Amino acid sequence: MSVIDQRIHQALDGELAAEVVPAELRHAVAQLAAAAELLAAPPPGPAASLESRVMAEIRRPAPSRARRVMRWLVTPHAIILRVRPAWSVVFAAVVATLTLFTAGDQGPELGEHEGIAQFVGRFPEAQSVHVVGTFNDWRPGSIALEDQDHDGVWRATVVLPAGTYEYMFVVDGERWVPDHLAERLVADDFGRENSIVIVRPARR
Amino acid sequence: MKRWVGLALSACVALPLPAQSVRGRLEGRIPSTAIPAVDSLIQFAAQEGLPTEPLIQKALEGGAKHVAGPRIVAAVQLSLGQLRDARDLLVRAGDQPPVLPAEMTTVAWALRRGLPAPLVERVVAALARPPRAAAMHAVADLVAHGFDPDSAADLIIDAVHDGVPRERLLDVSTAALQQVQRGRTRAEALAIVRRQLPNLPAPARPTRGNVAGARRPAAPVPP
Repeated sequence: MSVIDQRIHQALDGELAAEVVPAELRHAVAQLAAAAELLAAPPPGPAASLESRVMAEIRRPAPSRARRVMRWLVTPHAIILRVRPAWSVVFAAVVATLTLFTAGDQGPELGEHEGIAQFVGRFPEAQSVHVVGTFNDWRPGSIALEDQDHDGVWRATVVLPAGTYEYMFVVDGERWVPDHLAERLVADDFGRENSIVIVRPARR
Repeated sequence: MKRWVGLALSACVALPLPAQSVRGRLEGRIPSTAIPAVDSLIQFAAQEGLPTEPLIQKALEGGAKHVAGPRIVAAVQLSLGQLRDARDLLVRAGDQPPVLPAEMTTVAWALRRGLPAPLVERVVAALARPPRAAAMHAVADLVAHGFDPDSAADLIIDAVHDGVPRERLLDVSTAALQQVQRGRTRAEALAIVRRQLPNLPAPARPTRGNVAGARRPAAPVPP
């Protein structure tokens, strides 16, 4: 068993000043002092204790509100939906009603021998335009054209039985005008011309 | 009181029902002074087996256009003459009496649209089986756009013989008109369409949007 020099103990304990330690012992004193410092330091790496990790978490500042909201949004949540059967029936009825209402906006159902007649006329100064002809007993006012975007172009789309019809436009309730866009015209035997529309069955 | 009610009912029964309904449609729509004459013309038409609806429509048209009574009567009389001519033409072309009212109306339309009577007669004879409305309108459309009447009639008759359905004959005339719009002469257009028969481009169908916005008139009258 080797015996450590008493002067080394005294130097490590601070009882002997470093400059009075003999030169041959100074190296040993320095090595022992470094070893002592190494032992006194905390262990490095992941071996941090549970206590230290908890304390570190407590000391960390709280996340902002936006960060918490974001975290809530991206985190999966379990949702429990409890529905009464009666409410389910009501919900289904509402959906069915809305579906039927929407279907009603798709226009009238066309019969086997029915077709669509489109009437278009340009009357920039008109206040009202109607189409009158053999399809409505020449009764003014029954089928109005519309100018929804106020560009002077008046339109109406009418369901009629397939066939051939004569017609004219009545502008502002008093002015009778043939459809200048019509491809077919025929004398009306009253000194003017009627337009002709041929309605073909839509279901061909 | 009972006696007056009985007399009134007897008078109603004595009048033919169509006459009552015709007068009902005319009253308030044409000058009252014109109603007896128009009514009698319509009764003549009914007795002769001619269609009466075109005559009623002509009278209603005159009333709506605020035409004087005598002119309405004259126009109805003219329409009656056109229907008689149409019936005679159909019989000459081979239709067996009683001629169908719809065919008389069709031929009257064709004559009013300016087709020569011999041409109409030729089309009727070539297309023995009614209905001929689409064929007549197809020929009239072509003639109205400057096509040779005989060549136009030949094309439509050929189309029927090649198996084009009657309801698609207007597509034949439309195809010829489209060829002219593309710069062909009328003779070239007829030749091109004839070569394509019985194949025709698909007709335009009403779009979903058009159907969605469509409405029915209060009481459409069948033509």
